[in-house]
Amino acid sequence: MQRTRDIRNPLIPAVGATRAYAGAVGVVIATVGLAFVVDRLMPHASLSLLFLTGVLIVATRTGLGPSLLASVLSFLAFNFFFTSPYYTFEVTDEGDVATLVFFLLMAAISGNLAARMHREMAERHLSLQRISNLYEFSRRMSSAAGTEEVLDALADYLAQALNSGVEVLIVNDRGLPESRARAGQAMSAPQPDIEAAWSEEFRGPFALGACHFLKLVTSRQRMAMVVIHTDSMDAEQVRLARSLCDQATIALDRTQLVADLEQARLVSETEQLRSALLSSVSHDLRTPLASIIGSTSSVLEYGDSFSEENRKTLLETVLGEAQRLDRHIQNLLDMTRLGQGSLQLRRDWVDLNDIIASTADRMRDTLDDLSLDIDVAPEMPLLWVHGVLIEQALVNLLDNAIRFSPPGGRILIAARHCNDRVEIDLCDEGPGIPDSEREKIFDMFYTARDGDRGSLQGSGLGLAICRGMIVAHGGSITAHDGRNGRGTCMRIVLPVIRPGEGDTA
Amino acid sequence: MSDSKGTILIVEDEAQIRKFLRISLEAHSYRVCEARLGQDGLELCASEKPDLVILDLGLPDMDGQQFIQRLREWSSVPIVVLSVRAMETEKIAALDAGANDYVTKPFGIGELMARIRVVLRSSEGAMSAATVFEAQGLRVDFSHREVSVDGTPVRLSKKEYELLRMLVRFPGQVLTHQQILREVWDAGRQNETHYLRVLVGQLRHKLGDDPARPRFIVTVQGVGYRLALPAQR
Repeated sequence: MQRTRDIRNPLIPAVGATRAYAGAVGVVIATVGLAFVVDRLMPHASLSLLFLTGVLIVATRTGLGPSLLASVLSFLAFNFFFTSPYYTFEVTDEGDVATLVFFLLMAAISGNLAARMHREMAERHLSLQRISNLYEFSRRMSSAAGTEEVLDALADYLAQALNSGVEVLIVNDRGLPESRARAGQAMSAPQPDIEAAWSEEFRGPFALGACHFLKLVTSRQRMAMVVIHTDSMDAEQVRLARSLCDQATIALDRTQLVADLEQARLVSETEQLRSALLSSVSHDLRTPLASIIGSTSSVLEYGDSFSEENRKTLLETVLGEAQRLDRHIQNLLDMTRLGQGSLQLRRDWVDLNDIIASTADRMRDTLDDLSLDIDVAPEMPLLWVHGVLIEQALVNLLDNAIRFSPPGGRILIAARHCNDRVEIDLCDEGPGIPDSEREKIFDMFYTARDGDRGSLQGSGLGLAICRGMIVAHGGSITAHDGRNGRGTCMRIVLPVIRPGEGDTA
Repeated sequence: MSDSKGTILIVEDEAQIRKFLRISLEAHSYRVCEARLGQDGLELCASEKPDLVILDLGLPDMDGQQFIQRLREWSSVPIVVLSVRAMETEKIAALDAGANDYVTKPFGIGELMARIRVVLRSSEGAMSAATVFEAQGLRVDFSHREVSVDGTPVRLSKKEYELLRMLVRFPGQVLTHQQILREVWDAGRQNETHYLRVLVGQLRHKLGDDPARPRFIVTVQGVGYRLALPAQR
């Protein structure tokens, strides 16, 4: 990213010299006018004081040159208009010569004084400006969130302070400098110069071609290089440039550290997720496999001596466990698709009754002695959703409800329509979920501690998938108290929308 | 093999699946022939004249849809497709291309046998062109356009009757939304599935069908509808 900025230099006062001289002439003319008036009222000698005042005014306002001009002009005007012979430049009176000398002397002294005062004021102003600029710069440096911001600020301030074009290059992946930020009238320096400057050990600034180069070196590496498009730099400018660059170096070091920390945090989170996934996969794939291998090998080896009933039980175990394995793999697949953001919603008009019916149908064999009640309010609107995903979410919820239900318990699926949304409750009579865990259960790989029936512990993916699928539809899913204070109610809320509305996925 | 129930061709590249299919099908007195590749399958279709084809959609040499299209150019032999889950679009495409039904992998043999029976029966049924359909208390008299449930006559609108007649003509076989929309409405309404949802709702209501536990019309999520048959359960 490159930026170029128009810079107006605030450090040099833009008062034109021509204006100062014109001002001096103006003041003298005004003094002459005033002197004609005063001449009638006051003694002749005091007129010179009037002109002197004019010279002083010019001297304090401008500098040596204009005040000298004013003094010469004042003398000439005084001589021309107010000394005899009038209206000539002839000097007859010796006192008038003395006046001229006084005029010149006064002008030289006061002009010098004024000029020095001006210079000092300008310098003070300049250093004040510099200090406030530096302060502003260091504030920006310490608050900069990223490398880009540091480089932009550096380019801006350098260009301002040195009144020349500045380009900032930063080291790229291959260890070479790459242009990142520009300010002022900066063109690119010739590539050979850049390369030569980059390989130079000296930090700079040093001149090469038509540019000055400065390097930013952190504790760890050469980070960046500044190219200042100027032929010459005085000691003050070098000092300033160096100090700006040093501050930027510290800021770069800091942002780099922050980025490294962030990266480390990300890596460790990914690592955690990966190990959780691995342990989940190895546990949840192996457990059913252990039953399958055990049961089939038993039937194969000793099947002849088993009763028909026992053989059937074992084979049923194999089938059940294989189906569980299949569900788990489906969950992993769904999770991957949700995680990659590659889940595509294929919305269609769907009757919620159908979704609930096929959910119940898919889980009917797992219900055992549990009873499942379905209560869908009449006049339910058609939903514009990806039916298979909503069904999968309901299957996962029902799977949980079955897993946590006490023997002979009741499970209820109830749906109602209010205004612009549909609420689906899935309630069980299980142990319930403490308030503190009601949000956590939707985290990946989180499994509730109590209430599971031993080996039926799940992978902790089911609810995370549920939430992913429902949220993809613009809905929400939350855990609540069960009915009559028993168990849990999981509530899905889906917005009722039409094609083309709220379709984000 | 005089008592054979017919010949079934299995086109599937997984040897393990071919093996258990062959064992189970032969135990049910079907004659079985196998092909690993689509090309061989097509040739066997011509030489063996099977009564039914079991086709895996993921063949190494050709796309399942391609196989169906090429077979359908000259043969109307019923096809039951084997597909991997979460590929609804693939299933629908296969059905629209001319497959008669599908089973999702992994599947139980009972489910496949039920599908095979249903498809074979309805392909025979199509030939005999019965004038009355009767199952589970539902009676449809095609010649008089009369419908009754458990002996009680039911009045259906023209579209409701069309839909029911379609489902009944292929009992137990899945019909995609597109197939139904094309048949009951016209080509212009092919994507307006909400008409279909509403019509199915009305028809279920008139037949006294509970949508949560349908007795007659079963929804196949994301694919279509089928008429429930006792054999499926």
